[in-house]
Amino acid sequence: MSCVDTVMELRSVSYQYLGRFPALDGVSFTVGRGERVALLGANGCGKSTVLKVLDGLVFPDRGSYDAFAVPVTEDALEDDQFVTAFRSRVGFVFQNSDAQVFSPTVREEVAFGPLQMGLDSPDVERRVDDVLAMLEIAHLADRAPHQLSGGQKKRVAVASVLVMNPEVLLFDEPTAALDPRAQQWLVALIAELHASGKTIIIATHDLDRLEAIADRCIVFSEDHELVADGPTRAILDDVALLQRVNLVHDHAHVHAQEPAHRHLHGRGHHQLAG
Amino acid sequence: MITTATPEWLLQPEVALCPCGCIGRRRKANFVDKTLQNAGGLLLRTMFAEDAATRDGLLQRCDARAKLAGGAVLLLAAALVHDVRVLVVLYLLTLAVAVASKLGAKFFVQRVWLFVPLFTGIVVLPATLNVITPGRIVVPLGTWFGYHLGVTSQGASSAAVIVVRVATSISLVVLLTLTTRFADLLTGLRALRVPRLFVLVFSMAYRYVFVLLATVDDMYTARKARAVLDTRNTKRGRQFVAASAGALFGRAHALSDEVHHAMLARGFRGEARSLRVARVSANDVVVVLVAVVVSIVALGGDRVLR
Repeated sequence: MSCVDTVMELRSVSYQYLGRFPALDGVSFTVGRGERVALLGANGCGKSTVLKVLDGLVFPDRGSYDAFAVPVTEDALEDDQFVTAFRSRVGFVFQNSDAQVFSPTVREEVAFGPLQMGLDSPDVERRVDDVLAMLEIAHLADRAPHQLSGGQKKRVAVASVLVMNPEVLLFDEPTAALDPRAQQWLVALIAELHASGKTIIIATHDLDRLEAIADRCIVFSEDHELVADGPTRAILDDVALLQRVNLVHDHAHVHAQEPAHRHLHGRGHHQLAG
Repeated sequence: MITTATPEWLLQPEVALCPCGCIGRRRKANFVDKTLQNAGGLLLRTMFAEDAATRDGLLQRCDARAKLAGGAVLLLAAALVHDVRVLVVLYLLTLAVAVASKLGAKFFVQRVWLFVPLFTGIVVLPATLNVITPGRIVVPLGTWFGYHLGVTSQGASSAAVIVVRVATSISLVVLLTLTTRFADLLTGLRALRVPRLFVLVFSMAYRYVFVLLATVDDMYTARKARAVLDTRNTKRGRQFVAASAGALFGRAHALSDEVHHAMLARGFRGEARSLRVARVSANDVVVVLVAVVVSIVALGGDRVLR
């Protein structure tokens, strides 16, 4: 992959919370423009921390991180021009929508990002109206966040990021705690965004929907190390790997009614190939 | 690899418990439990109830900025008026506006007079006695260590002024908050040049009261679901409250970190920016003018009557 095509690059990144709880250990990978990547691993393996590093919210204790061929450091993000460019190019949809949706109304929530970017009020209002219509939540514009359901809050959270038109979208466990219909909507939206040229990076352990949301998987072990990086199908077929990183357990069985239909019991109900 | 070793006791029913509950002894719900539950429920109902602000009433049709400015002027006037008759007229005016705003006279009076004794009772009651305010005793309360105790006319009239002034002030604030959506109130504050950062912090505090309230409710429900022993045990109750407070503090801290990250991720750098506020209309100017005229008349009347 050429330098121009690489949008993000982590080199031997290590990070510890409070200086003693390891979250990442020597992680290196690159993400190319327009890629759709899943960060895969069990709870507590460091997926969310990787996303925070990629969004410049926490900084590696060791190693380095470049975005758009520029080092992302605490110092660099103190530069007004750089931080504005970086924040408008990278959007982050948090797992906890309650943390992301903090404004008194949906309209103000969606307007928050573009206003911080310094856009004029008429431009912001136009963008807000467009994105609310796109995500079919225009009727919620004047509602307060506490009056929304979990699925509606997720839509607002996605809208608040999409309105900034970022090149790279980071999703932290996007389908967690959503009902099946909302999950399906989100999966379809991710596919649509990818088709429009966005780079998508998703932290997940939802094996059921993995192929629908990612073409490439980066797998983390419970020791916070990167243990595999490859096409989604190949990763899903590597049962030994998935067992080793505790994403599935070895209780595979054959359904009585469907003798040829084998399943692995993982965090989802993942169908085995063959 | 996951192995499950189910202990033997988990496979047996709990023989000590009768499934029909016939050996049980009925206990009334703990007073603290009920209070906590009702207080939580009341807070939720109160804060969720924005229906009054969406009714088609007099004040609901006014802009939040005009109501804020007009309310501030009237509050100032109520603070400066010393004649109880003028204050009573002002109070009756607020009552009339409440009715015109479709709030319901009974509901409005209850809402206001619930707070008046709380704010003024402790201060005002001693001031009515001749020990504090000397004067003509109108209600004798007997003799205490050879000293004649009673309510003086001067004390009673001073107390009446304070009580009606507090009632009028609370009425004005209740009128404003019941007829204005919280989001509009914040927009109004911004338009009145209240620092944006202050408005942002205020709005976020309001926003996360709900989240933390839901957390408290969850913790309480989870505890209740497992509480088999007598929950009236005060020591256990205190331990629960202390543990919950600690857990809630931890969650609030973690949440604040997440919210800060979410703000940074969308470009926040310490300077709050907001959508432009709509222009002031002629109606809004009229509302403020009416408030100013009423205030001037009240202050003039106070001067004439004193």
